[in-house]
Amino acid sequence: MEDKFDCIVIGGGIAGLSAALTLAKNNMKFLLIERGEFSGAKNVSGGVLWGEGLSKLVPNYWEEEDAGFERFINHRRLSFMDGDSSFSIDFKSSSFDEKPYKGVIVLRAKFDNWLAEKVQEAIEASKYPDESFMAPNILVEEVLMDNGKAVGIRAGEEKFYADSVIISEGVNNLLTRQVGLQDDYVPADALAVGVKEIIKFDQEVLEDRFQLSINSGMSNEFIGTATQGVEGGGFLYTNKDSISFGLVLGMISLRDSGMKPYDILNEFKAHPVIADTLRGGEVVEYSAHAVSTGDMKVMPKEIYGDGLLVAGEAANLLMNSGKAIQGMDYAMHSGVLAAETIVEARDSGDFSKNTMKAYRDKLEKSFVLQDMKNFQGAVEFLHSKEMFQSVPGLVCDFGKQFFSIKNEPTPKTREMLSKSVKKHSSYWQLLKLGIKGARSL
Amino acid sequence: MKKLSIAERLGMVNYQNQGKTEAKPHILVDTDICNTGCDHKATTRVCPANCYTLDEVGKVHFQFEDCIECGTCMYACDKGAVTWEYPDPEIGRGVKWNFG
Repeated sequence: MEDKFDCIVIGGGIAGLSAALTLAKNNMKFLLIERGEFSGAKNVSGGVLWGEGLSKLVPNYWEEEDAGFERFINHRRLSFMDGDSSFSIDFKSSSFDEKPYKGVIVLRAKFDNWLAEKVQEAIEASKYPDESFMAPNILVEEVLMDNGKAVGIRAGEEKFYADSVIISEGVNNLLTRQVGLQDDYVPADALAVGVKEIIKFDQEVLEDRFQLSINSGMSNEFIGTATQGVEGGGFLYTNKDSISFGLVLGMISLRDSGMKPYDILNEFKAHPVIADTLRGGEVVEYSAHAVSTGDMKVMPKEIYGDGLLVAGEAANLLMNSGKAIQGMDYAMHSGVLAAETIVEARDSGDFSKNTMKAYRDKLEKSFVLQDMKNFQGAVEFLHSKEMFQSVPGLVCDFGKQFFSIKNEPTPKTREMLSKSVKKHSSYWQLLKLGIKGARSL
Repeated sequence: MKKLSIAERLGMVNYQNQGKTEAKPHILVDTDICNTGCDHKATTRVCPANCYTLDEVGKVHFQFEDCIECGTCMYACDKGAVTWEYPDPEIGRGVKWNFG
């Protein structure tokens, strides 16, 4: 391995693997280094890879006997919760059965490992089957710089050199900080902590309980009492024979609540509506991870440099716009765009900042930065106290009135609504919120 | 479902180099800073693996063995008490997810 690589990719998560797959398809000589024992061993996500990006990277992946995903999504539910109720917006459509799927539920230890196999296959089919490598179980400690240009990496005593480096190390982006693209300290107010359990069921029980067909799945997001008043929300995604169930909690709000994240998770599981949903399940894994909220103020100062690109959550590319929590699709697309930029750089023989800037331009034009910019208001809106406290309370209160038949004179719906609004908020507050929501969503 | 304690939950987690008696810590915490200059002691509240604990007199203690590398403490500590690195695959103690 004396020769210089075209590119070194740091991190074998979705961003790094997508970059590597693109590099391999373009006959590039590269080295991908992953610190886990295998790709996915260190990764945690809620679990939906949204959009059709995967079908571009791995065409017809659904035809594989055991492709890396758990289920595709054709059923979505958003639930507003108070202490004893849940009011849901529920949408299911067989039009979502059409391929390519609009979203697939994944478990990272399996999915990333599968995607790594695709990279290996692409390396073997490329012009340089013996000169590109994927190296797991190695920790990159330093990006080697020469006159401000990234020239390689150091892992322990060993150094490897390349014309370019892609940093795709995840949200805890130590190397991005080391090269000076991110501040040494990133404040907690733009971050959340996700806690999650994998709850196993008999597959038939799971399919019956959630009305799933062989391969289809459901995503359910929760706001309100799920988080015990802490900023954030809950999620439930159906895997093959388990569910991914958990919470995303704003760090500062959590800190100030005096509650522990795992205790809030216990309360969430004990909610009467949820308890019925989880009955008979067995927890087989507890996990947690820091996650960016999508607030662009914590994005690295720049995501490219001389010989250097930053992709995926290392660049804080993640967002909850209210419609979906997107991060893995951003990772995939940014990884592909980073690799394409490296390919162009090799073709022109120029790995300087000027060429690398094309990555930023591509990302700006793509859905990733377009959406992140357009929906910054939505991020703020969803993190407002009204959204995770007053609104769920109001909605559930209205539900209790509207759906209960008491055999006494029934008030008109408008009166019920008015009562619920006054109890939890005011028309003025709601109007302000409505305008904010209409503008931002 | 019965409520799970944090100990029961962490009991389900696999770690690298689990069999080794000694591992190199990947997080160093200057608890003097926590105990003299911090009003919120956020790490003891937000750490999802309960690696940061308060004793009966309100002092912060840290152990890295249960750490699941989530990164939360690195953001939650705004006093510079936490030095956070990734665990060394050979001699550190790091998480290994079965599902993730």
